[in-house]
Amino acid sequence: MKFYPYKRLNRPIALRVTSASLKLPDNTRDLLDTSAWSVPQRTVALGVAQHDDWTSARIGLSATLPPGAVADDAPWTGLKVLVTLADGETNVRTSVELRQDAPGSKEWSGFVEVNRDDHVGRAFLSAQAVATVDDVAGRSVAETDEDWTVDVTADEPLGGLRLDVKQVGFAKSSREWLHAYADAPWIVDASGRVPAVLVNTDVEGFADLLDAESGGMENKVHELLVTQMSTDVWTAVFHSAVGDLETESDGTPVFPTDWRGEVLREMLPDVAPGVHVEEALRRVHRRRTGDAGWVELQTRIHYAAVRRAGVSRALSQALRALQQSNRGDHA
Amino acid sequence: MIEKPYHVPLRLGLLSAAAAEPFLTEDLLKGVAGHAGVDLDKVVDRLPEDDPRWEVEPLRDLIEDAKHAFEDNRTQADAWLAPRLHAALRLTRREAADRRLWTHLALAVAPDYVAWRHRSRTTSKIGPERFRGAPDRQCFSRLWWAAEMFRDGADYTPVVTACGNQDLIHSALRRELIDHRPIAQALVQVMERGVAVTGREIEGLMTAVSAAGATLVYDALAPDVPRDPGVVRTWIEEAAHVSVPRRVLPDGPDEEPVPKKSVSDLTDFFADLFETAPVRGRAVKE
Repeated sequence: MKFYPYKRLNRPIALRVTSASLKLPDNTRDLLDTSAWSVPQRTVALGVAQHDDWTSARIGLSATLPPGAVADDAPWTGLKVLVTLADGETNVRTSVELRQDAPGSKEWSGFVEVNRDDHVGRAFLSAQAVATVDDVAGRSVAETDEDWTVDVTADEPLGGLRLDVKQVGFAKSSREWLHAYADAPWIVDASGRVPAVLVNTDVEGFADLLDAESGGMENKVHELLVTQMSTDVWTAVFHSAVGDLETESDGTPVFPTDWRGEVLREMLPDVAPGVHVEEALRRVHRRRTGDAGWVELQTRIHYAAVRRAGVSRALSQALRALQQSNRGDHA
Repeated sequence: MIEKPYHVPLRLGLLSAAAAEPFLTEDLLKGVAGHAGVDLDKVVDRLPEDDPRWEVEPLRDLIEDAKHAFEDNRTQADAWLAPRLHAALRLTRREAADRRLWTHLALAVAPDYVAWRHRSRTTSKIGPERFRGAPDRQCFSRLWWAAEMFRDGADYTPVVTACGNQDLIHSALRRELIDHRPIAQALVQVMERGVAVTGREIEGLMTAVSAAGATLVYDALAPDVPRDPGVVRTWIEEAAHVSVPRRVLPDGPDEEPVPKKSVSDLTDFFADLFETAPVRGRAVKE
């Protein structure tokens, strides 16, 4: 728990998205319906309406301050509520002030503009209540405990890791670097902006199998393959994330701001269980850069990947289907 | 030493890190031998033909001029090249966040510059991140982003000051602090006033500024004005008609400058903060 040398509120601000609209090149606005955002996922998907050419989006917001913020005897003056839109990939940080709905109200509202040219993937929204406390201006007295995600391309408001899956024939691809992998059914490329799985369509029947939704044995094999790929992806992204860490001057590793940070926060509790994620990251970083312990950690990384990919479930289902089909053959 | 590639592409393209990997040979990273540009060209994803911004020639000229002018002091080339590269290669932030563009520029267009600027005097090696690394480490993207983050609207003067101090751009670019424009401008002011100048002093100041940010909201303390996306758009559209001046500074996109009061308030605050900040090798004042 953090210690603050002044009075502030213990409970977080509740931030909600109330509307979203896109500005199109002809200066008209398209008001998105409520399917564009998800409250449980805390995500806004600006790609829902399939406009590729929008120039900016306006997101309506409302914030509820915790009890005590606007009390007459509150130990601060000049209370303001600020919403900040931040994007670590493009170094964008913009803040807007919300307006109090009525004098003395806990409810504040306003909107933030998201410029299409300023973002590639995801940006994050947070709110802070700021006031003058003990004659010090600009002090934070409460904030949101979890960010909202604004995804400028997603067509569904889903959280979590985003993957790019592409089907290509490796041997004859115009991407010549794929030729070297012509005998692999798939490869994972974690060097890009979002991790990508490239599926080799040259392996006969493979693409059909992956598209299979017919049920039966094909379906089980399909699921098993997908979880196998996911395991590869999770392993590759974890290594990519941990291999590219920035450090503070005292050697403390810093959480990356893009998907690499999301991956680490998601997987570290399984890789280094029982400690806070910051401490887990320090331990993993020390093992990777130090003399010992990196090899031993591989099992834990693999375990974390397998759990995320849901391998056990897919495997037991495939085994069960196999047994059933064998019984059928002997009958 | 690596020379200008025999085959320089006519247009910029996108080169993914995975595709670039086979070309980052031991010899290249030792600065001994370049690569055959023709093979590299086959793995590049093309950019739209009709956009004059992707023409390589003006960039190649600029890079040659930087090498020529700073032959004897390569680190000083940063302060000269950063604003000019930013004005010559006009990008939205969305485009500039694509690392593949920078990898192509470094590996296909100007590997000789990367070697000249970043080959270590002690180990004779070039870090691979200078070709295809994080935005704050890669040879060209670090300059472009330094110019983008430290310019004051159309005025590139603060960029020159910031890039004149390797420690400042090194420790500023990897932090999110400077995403708030008044902080970036105040850091330049603090340096100009001579308050924090050496690497250790700057690192100490940055740590203190981050730490104070845990309870203070800089966005409220020193507000910025909203940016008009149309201004950068227009500036980018003019790209085809301008050539970048060599002797005087170019003009950047004509965005609203950072509010003066916000910058001076923060500069005073940072200077005070620095008085008591722990700096390695400095005695703590009583």
